[in-house]
Order: sequence, then structure tokens, then C-alpha cells
Amino acid sequence: MRPMDRRRLLVLAAIVAGIALIAIAAIYWAEPARSLPSFFPGHQAGSGHHHVKHGIASFLVGLACFVFAWFNTGKKQTPAA
Amino acid sequence: MPISYFQGAMLGLLQGVSELFPVSSLGHSVILPRLVGWHIHQNDKFFITFLVATHLATAIVLLLFFRRDWWRILKGVGRSLRDRGIAPDDADAKLGWLLVVGTIPAGILGLLLQDKLRTVFASAQSAAIFLFLNGFLLYGAELLRRRAPQAAVDDDTRIARRVSWRGAFLIGAAQALALIPGFSRSGATMGGGLLVGLSHKDAARFAFLLATPIIGAAAVLKLPELAGSSGNGVRGPAAVGALCAAVTAYLAVRFLMRFFETNTLTPFAVYCAVAGAACALTFAFS
Repeated sequence: MRPMDRRRLLVLAAIVAGIALIAIAAIYWAEPARSLPSFFPGHQAGSGHHHVKHGIASFLVGLACFVFAWFNTGKKQTPAA
Repeated sequence: MPISYFQGAMLGLLQGVSELFPVSSLGHSVILPRLVGWHIHQNDKFFITFLVATHLATAIVLLLFFRRDWWRILKGVGRSLRDRGIAPDDADAKLGWLLVVGTIPAGILGLLLQDKLRTVFASAQSAAIFLFLNGFLLYGAELLRRRAPQAAVDDDTRIARRVSWRGAFLIGAAQALALIPGFSRSGATMGGGLLVGLSHKDAARFAFLLATPIIGAAAVLKLPELAGSSGNGVRGPAAVGALCAAVTAYLAVRFLMRFFETNTLTPFAVYCAVAGAACALTFAFS
């Protein structure tokens, strides 16, 4: 795969992951633990607890994905560390 | 009143020092009440509320102490976002993003594991054992540290050049160790800094910059508890504790930034090993 294609694929993956993670954050904030999908960490039958912290964690990682995509779609190259 | 003004002042003074010294503030907050016979347990709601105030005070002191650095770092991050890249000579932007990369794993692990780990490792006995192990961790970092040549540039440029993205991520993740009472957050980050080739002074500086958003965010997230019903009867002692923590945190950060110009982590390693062993033996036979 050419480096340019690989970069575009990475950006696309980062944007999709960012959207998904922020959507997951919204679910954590909106739904109590009993209503979360069973594969979500924190799902607990009968619990009315809202996993606010899980939502914050998901939101921050989603935001990081968007920042990654933002840097990788710019004209300038981020120098290697 | 679940916690007296005197206890609040003592715990505040201890918190301010031990949060920044690489000796585990949480470990000391668990061990001290047991040593002096106070009925304060780290999982008591009022104690967690009290800690919110002292942590917030420590974070504010750190923010004010490094205020000029933070302003430069924020401007650098803003520049990099505007330009969609980090200019090779923009050390402030690189340092800012290194701090972001280091904060993400620490924040996520903290958010997800804090309550569970606190419940599992709640006893003073386990805190003493982990304090003992923290001594070995600090000494191990000294033994394994990379002695990189120190270029004659400013502090932030040196840090930005030496620390890689992967290094920042790993140093940030190492902070999660501090969720276990007895292990030190600043010890883990300073040790990580030494392992990637920073000098003691630069490792301390990076550790304090990295600690500020984490300590501050953890405190702000729990602020509603201080304002809510679980803060009843604690707010007065918490205010006194926060004031005491602010004073000792300021003195501690001033002292440590000078101390690490010429000294190493070894004295703290010895203290943790000796104090941890002594407390563990005391608790075992009491």
C-alpha cells in the first residue's frame, strides 16, 4: 500500500472511531447501567447508576482520534518525535 | 464532626508534601490515621470528600507555580492546531502534546480503575507494603536510568527533544500505579522520565506538569460531593486542610525543583523502603 493511501486510511479510521466513541460517551451519559448494551463495560442488570466517568473516558479518546485526524489532514507533516 | 480541624490541618500538611514528593500521598493518608489511632478510613465518604479539597489546592498551586510555562504551552498547542502540525523548532507545542499524550492513559485508567483499586487495596497494611515496593521502584529507576548528554538549551526544549510520543504515553500510563495507595504518582513519572533519558530536574518538571491536569481534573470531577450532602460536617476541616496543603505543596515544589538540580531519587527510595517496612511490621504485630 502506498504511504498516501495508508495515511488516508488511518485518517478515515480515526474519524470513524472518533464518531463512534463520542456516540458511546453520549450513551453512557444518557442511559443507566441497566439499559446499556450488554457488551458495554459497566452494564449491570437492574442498576440505575449512570456511568459518567466511562462516558468522559470515551469522549476524551474520541476527541484524541479527531485531533489525530486533524493533524494528519494538514499540509505540514508532524515531525517524528 | 467526622474529622476535626486539627486532623484536617495535619492531613492537609501531609498531603501537600507527599503529593509532590515521590513518596505516595494516598499511602501516607492511609498509613498516618492508622499509626496515630484516628478512625479515618480511606474509603469513608467524608475522607474522599476531604481529599477532593486538598487535591484541588495542590493542583491550583502547581498551576500557579508553572503559570508562565502553561501559558507558553497552551499558546504552542494553539499554534499547532492552527497550522495542523508541530513545527520542528516549536518546543512548547511538542511539550503540550506530550502532556496530552501522557494524560490520556492516566486519565482513562484513573476514571475506570480508581474506585475498584481503592476498594481492593484499602488497608494500611497493604499501603505500607506498597510503600516499601515504591522504594524499590524509585531505586530501580535510578539504576536503569539513561545518562543522556544534556544540551545547553532551555528546560522545555530538552524535554521535548528527549521524550518520544511512546515515551510520554508509557510515562502517563505509569501514573496509574498511583491509584494503589503506597505507590507514588510523581515517583512513577519521574522514574519514567529518567528511563527515557531526562535529567532529574527535567524529569521532575515533566512530572509536575503532567500531574497538574490529572490532579485538577480528578478534584473537579468530585467537587459536587464537597458541595453536596457528603460534604456536610467536612467543609470546615477540608478548607483548613486545603489551605495547609496549598502552603506545603508550594514549599515542596520550590524545594524539589532545586533539589533535583543536583540530587537523585535515592533518598526517597531509602525513605519509602524503610518507612514501608517499619509500618508493615508495626501493623502486623499490633
